[in-house]
Amino acid sequence: MYNVIQLLIKYGAHILFVVLEIICFTLIVNKNDTQQAIFLNSSNVLAGKLEAQRSTLLEYSNLKNLNDSLLRENATLIENLISIEYSNELIPGSDTVLAQYSLIPTKIINSTINQRNNHFTLNKGSREGLYPGMGVIASHIGLIGIIRNTSDNFAHVISLLNSQTRISCTVKNRTGHGTLVWENADPLRMTLISIPKHEQIEVGDTVITSGYSTMFPRGILVGKIESIKVPPGSNSYAITVKLFNDLTSVKYAYVIQNRFAAEQIKLENEVGHE
Amino acid sequence: MNKYIVPNLLRILILFLVQILVFKQITFTLDNKIFVHFLIYPLAILQLPIKTPRMVLLLVAFILGIGLDVFYDSLGIHAAALVLTAYIRGIIIAMIEPYEGYNVNDVPTIRNFGIGWFVYYLSLALIIHIFVYFSIEAFSFVYFFEIMLNSIFSFIVSFIVIMLSQLIFRPKF
Repeated sequence: MYNVIQLLIKYGAHILFVVLEIICFTLIVNKNDTQQAIFLNSSNVLAGKLEAQRSTLLEYSNLKNLNDSLLRENATLIENLISIEYSNELIPGSDTVLAQYSLIPTKIINSTINQRNNHFTLNKGSREGLYPGMGVIASHIGLIGIIRNTSDNFAHVISLLNSQTRISCTVKNRTGHGTLVWENADPLRMTLISIPKHEQIEVGDTVITSGYSTMFPRGILVGKIESIKVPPGSNSYAITVKLFNDLTSVKYAYVIQNRFAAEQIKLENEVGHE
Repeated sequence: MNKYIVPNLLRILILFLVQILVFKQITFTLDNKIFVHFLIYPLAILQLPIKTPRMVLLLVAFILGIGLDVFYDSLGIHAAALVLTAYIRGIIIAMIEPYEGYNVNDVPTIRNFGIGWFVYYLSLALIIHIFVYFSIEAFSFVYFFEIMLNSIFSFIVSFIVIMLSQLIFRPKF
């Protein structure tokens, strides 16, 4: 007991200081709203920092899922763009046209660009609804090619940069249509042939898909006209088109699913056989 | 010793009233971010006689602080800061002890120790008090930069006001 009293005498001021500060802080935390909020918050700041660290660490593993969802979102947006193009230009108010095209997002897993006949491989196949003859685009701006062959899980695409490529194209706000081919070895330029030379066409015009096939809807932007020539003795232009998209760096692609393709091809074949 | 009780009580009361009636009203903000407070009440603790028992210092500080908090609607903040200031006052006084030491009844004033010593004493104690005050008010060192700015500007204005009062009234006790 004596010791306790002696201790109190010796350290009384310090003890009193601690006691008074404890009283003060108890009052501060209990009676003041802001400090109470901050008291709870400060721990949250720490927790929040930890959470942020954790999420940055785990972000990389989520990137794949994130990419997939973005791809799906993009597919829907491009579908809408195509639908708008059609609802403006073709049959107003037709529901079937709006639903004609849908897009399947895919990833390009293999590509060549430096050969005379270039190819792509996509990471989805017939299991996902991909079939030979479907068009492949990079986005609303830019074609990629046409599916030539599919397996269960992969699809083989003939690139635009291929000597076999023939895509029906037209010039925006002009009449007449021609065929887009790849003649020179430049991966950024293609040639639009067989537009009759009486058509009015100028350098700088935009080349779009014509929609005269089951592969691509009308209005996918392809490129800009860079130069126009008329080969001697020919009745049509040879137009150099600079592509909007760079096929050497493309990583994702959308396959265009045309719900009425089979119907159209069947009908056209019947007419052909007669 | 008794002759110090009345003037000190008076000084505490006057500083208390001046703080809540005058300086509480002229708190202002700079740039909508920096809060500038005039905190002159620490002078009441700082000018108690040097040999005042620590217990008394702490209790006076606590009561004065709580009294201010009632008017500032910030229960505990002024008290906590002021109790801490009272606690470290002894350390500061010991740190800057003049060559000839202190007399039993010395009061820390300009008259007794000269202006250099007083400025040293006042600025040390005041900056610590104001920094602690803003720290407790923010209650989180996440706002360290804001606390520093608030402290610096508040210290400057408070210091000027206290020094002026000292030079004008030149208190004996």
